Amino acid sequence: MATYIARRLLLLPLVAFGVTLLIFALLQFLTPAERAALFVTDPRQLSSIPAIIRKYGLDQPIHVQYWVWLKQLLHGDLGWSQTARMPTSQALATFFPATLELTFYMFIPIIIIGVWLGTRAAVHKDQIVDHFSRIFAISLRGLPSFVWGLIVLMVFYGGLNWFPPGRLSLEADLFVKSPEFHRFTRIMTVDALLNGQPWIFVDALRHIAGPAMTLVLVEMALLVRVTRSSMLEVLRQDYVRTARAKGLAEPVVINRHARKNALIPVVTLSSLLFVGLLGGVVLAETIFNYPGIGKWGAEAAVQLDIPGVTGFGMFIALITVFGNLAADILYATIDPRIRLQ
Amino acid sequence: MSFKRRLLMLLVFTLAVALTGVNGVAQGQAVKNPDTLIIQSFGDPESLDPSWAYDTASSGTFLWNVYETLIFFVGGRTDLYEPMLATGVPSVANGGISADGKTYTFKIRPGVKFHDGNVMTPEDVRYSLMRFMLVDRDGGPSWILLAAILGFDTQSTRDDNGKLLPDIWDRVNQAIQVKGDTVVITLKDPYAPFLNIMASWSMVVSKKFVVKNGGWDGAKTIVAKYNNPEKPDAQELFDKGAGTGPFKLDSWDRGTGNITLSRFTDYWRAPAKLSRIVIQKVEEFGPRRLALQNGDADIIDVSRADQPAVTGISGVRIVDDLAQLVNSPSLFMNLNISAEGNPDVGSGKLDGNGVPPNFFSDIHVRRAFAYLFDRQAFIDQALRGKGRLANGPIPYGMLGYNPRGKWYEVSKDKAVAEFKEAWGGQVWNNGFKFSVLYNSGNVARQTGSQMLKEATESLNPKFKIDTRGVTWSSYLGLMNQKKLPMFFIGWAADYADPDNFTVPFMHSTGTYPGRQSYKNPEADRLIEQAGKETDAKKREALYFRVQEIAYQDVPTIYIVYPTAFVAMRAWVKGWYHNPIFFQPWNYAYRLSKGQ
Repeated sequence: MATYIARRLLLLPLVAFGVTLLIFALLQFLTPAERAALFVTDPRQLSSIPAIIRKYGLDQPIHVQYWVWLKQLLHGDLGWSQTARMPTSQALATFFPATLELTFYMFIPIIIIGVWLGTRAAVHKDQIVDHFSRIFAISLRGLPSFVWGLIVLMVFYGGLNWFPPGRLSLEADLFVKSPEFHRFTRIMTVDALLNGQPWIFVDALRHIAGPAMTLVLVEMALLVRVTRSSMLEVLRQDYVRTARAKGLAEPVVINRHARKNALIPVVTLSSLLFVGLLGGVVLAETIFNYPGIGKWGAEAAVQLDIPGVTGFGMFIALITVFGNLAADILYATIDPRIRLQ
Repeated sequence: MSFKRRLLMLLVFTLAVALTGVNGVAQGQAVKNPDTLIIQSFGDPESLDPSWAYDTASSGTFLWNVYETLIFFVGGRTDLYEPMLATGVPSVANGGISADGKTYTFKIRPGVKFHDGNVMTPEDVRYSLMRFMLVDRDGGPSWILLAAILGFDTQSTRDDNGKLLPDIWDRVNQAIQVKGDTVVITLKDPYAPFLNIMASWSMVVSKKFVVKNGGWDGAKTIVAKYNNPEKPDAQELFDKGAGTGPFKLDSWDRGTGNITLSRFTDYWRAPAKLSRIVIQKVEEFGPRRLALQNGDADIIDVSRADQPAVTGISGVRIVDDLAQLVNSPSLFMNLNISAEGNPDVGSGKLDGNGVPPNFFSDIHVRRAFAYLFDRQAFIDQALRGKGRLANGPIPYGMLGYNPRGKWYEVSKDKAVAEFKEAWGGQVWNNGFKFSVLYNSGNVARQTGSQMLKEATESLNPKFKIDTRGVTWSSYLGLMNQKKLPMFFIGWAADYADPDNFTVPFMHSTGTYPGRQSYKNPEADRLIEQAGKETDAKKREALYFRVQEIAYQDVPTIYIVYPTAFVAMRAWVKGWYHNPIFFQPWNYAYRLSKGQ
C-alpha cells in the first residue's frame, strides 16, 4: 500500500504541470486585448489597453508567459489574483478553509441521511418509504440548485430570519476582527471554540446552514438512489439469503452483512462528491454570499484572471488526486478483497 | 446573469414573498444597528489608494469618506464649491486665481489632523498632489491632474515605450509649490474645469504615514521606483488609510470584500453622526434585497431592471429620477472597420452579404440609422422609461448642454430616403449584412441591438443585421481592435465638466473617436478652445457648436441621459444626492439613522 500511495503522490507534480499548461494554452485563444480586459473595468480606462498589454507582457508568446509564471512559482509566488485583490496563494489560503468548513457540515448529513434513507428504501422496496424517497430524489434533483438556494434563502432568511447569508453577522464579524480573537485555523466554528466563544460558533453555524441545507437536499438525492440500487442487488445475493436462513436478526443481516458490501459504489460516489464540494459549490456560495473558493474560482475564470485561474486549477487538481487516493484507501479498508498495488 | 436566469429569479422571489407573506420590518419598529450604516454593494474596490483607485467601486464606496479634497461641492450642486482643506475657494475676485487664469492659490486650513495623529501641513497637500500625478499606473486616474496642470498633451508620465519622462518630476515640482501657508498651482494653460477637478481629485494623504510605511518620500531620484506599480498592494495605502475625512479605515477584509470605517473623533468639523460604516460585497441581488427587507442593510445596490423587486417593501424608501453625469448607452458607428478576419462584416463588400470597412463613412448611412432607431421606445423598454432623450455628448443640466439642440426624430420615410442616397444607391439596391454586438448580461444593450435589428430589417428585405452577445472582455477587445461595426457603450464623468464628455465622445484623440476613426478638425479645435476658455458664456457658445457638429456628422447616435434611483431603509436620515456621486452613499458625513 505504501508504494501505491508513494506512486500516486509522485504523479502530483505532473498533474499540476499538465493542468497549468492546459490553462495557459487555452487562454492563448483570446487576444491580448481581451486578456487585458481584466484590468479595464470601466470604459474610462479603454485608452490604456495597449499600455496594460505591454506592462503585463500579454502579447508575449505563450512559452515566454508560461516561463515567467514558472519562474515566479519557483520563488513560491503564484502571482497576483486581480479578482481576489490579493496574491493567489493567499487567496487559496483565505477561501479554502471556508469551503472546507461548509463541505464538512454538508457531507456528514448527506452521508448519514443518504445511506440511511437508501437502505430503508431498498429493504422496503415498493412500500411507502421507497416511494417517498423516489419522489423526494426526483423532485430535488429536478430543479437547479440555485432555485433551491433562492427558496431556502427566501424562507429561512427572508421569512424566518434564521439562516442569514454571508459568513458571520455584523457583531460576530467585528469581534472576530478585534485583537481579542485569534484565528488559529481560519475554520470559523473551530476557531470560535478554541477562543472559547460559543456564540461565534452558533453564529457561524447559522450562516453555514443555508448553503449546507440547499446542497444537502440536492446532493443527497443521488446518494439515496445509488445506495438503494446497490442494496437491492446485494440483498439478492446468496450470502444474504444464507444469513437469513441461519436465523440472524433482520437488522444484523441488513446492517452487517448486506450494507457493508453495498457501500463500495457509495464510497466511490461520496469521494467524488466530497472532492466536487471541496472544489467549490459555486451557486450555493454565490447565492448565500459565502466567501468560499468556488465563488472566487468562478469569478476568476469569468474575468480571465490568469494567475487566479491557474492557481485555482492547480489546487483543484491537487485535491482531486488526494481525494481519489483517499477513496482507494477506503476501498481497501472496507473490502479486504481489494488490494492496492 | 442571463436574462432567463434573472427572470426565473424574479419569479421565485415573487412566489416566495407571496408564500411567506413577508413584508419586511414594519415602520415604527426599532432601528437595527442604530449607529452603524450598512451598505451592500455588488463590487469591491481594486485598491484603497487614491492614486490607484479609478473603478466605480473605489471612488464610490470609499474615498471621500476617508480622504478629503481642498474644496468640495455644495450640497447637490456640481458647479458651486465650499472650502474643505483649503480655507477658501479661489476666484479671480479674491485673488486666488491669477488674471491670466493659470495660477491658483489655496490657503491651507490650519490644525487639521490626519487619522494617524499628524497635523496636516501645506507640504502634505503638495506631496499628495505630486504623488497622485507621479504614481500614474496604467489605467489609473493620474491623467486627470497631469493633463489639467501640465497641459492637454501630457496625459501620462511615460513615453510611448513606457519609459518615465526624464523631466516629469521637475515639471510637476515646478507647477506645485508651497508658499507660506498656501499651495500655489501653476497650470501650463488656463483650464476651465480645474476647480471642479480639484473638488473631486485633490485628496490629501498624510506624507509622514506614507513614508513611514515605506512609500515615496517625494525625492526625484527614486520616483521611477514608485511610478506605475505592477500590483496594487505594492502601494502603502492599498489597504490602509491616512486621510483627514470624517471616517477612518478600520479594516478591509478581502476574504469577504467587506470594508469597515469608523468615526474619526478628532475630525476638524463636528464628528460624524454615525459611529461606523460597513460596506459589504454581496454579488447577487437576491440576498441584497432580503437584507434590505430584514433591515440588515440600510442601502443596497439595485439595477434598474430589479427595481420592481424593491418597490413596496414596508420601511424602505425609494428616491427616483436622480440626475447623473452619465451619457449611456450611445450607439457608435465605426467609420473604418478592421475587416481582417472579422466575421461581423460578412463578405466585406456591399454585395448584400456584408459591408465594406468604410460603410459608415457615408453620412447618409449614419443619418439613416439616426432616423431609424426609436430612442424613446428604447428608454421605455430597456430603462423603464427613466431618462431624458439625449442630443449630444454633454448631459442635461451641465454647462454646454443645449436645450434647443437639434436631433433626428424617428422617421422611417427619412431613413429610407437616406439609405436610397447612400453609396450612390447601392445600399438600397444590394442590401447589406453586419453584426451588432453587445456584452452578454447587459440587458439594455441587448434590447437596443434587437430593436435596431428589427427596425432595419423591416425597411428592406435585403437589409440584415445579426445580434450577438460576447463577454465583456471580448467586447472591449474587439472594440479596441476596431472590429465592431456598431457598438453600444457609455461614459460616466470623471469630473463635472463638459470637457470630460466632449473629449471622449468627439475629440479625435478621445476614447471613442479613436476607436471609430472619427476626426473633425473643427470639433477638435472647438473642444480645445472651450477647455481653455474661462468665460462661462463664451464656453457655452463653443459647446453649442460642438453639439451642432455632433448632429451634423452623427458618428454617434446619442440616446439617453439616464437617471438613477436609490433604495434605502426609511430610517436613514440626512441623505442627499449630488450627480457627481457614483453611488448614493458616496459621502456619509451627514447621514444618520433614526425614526
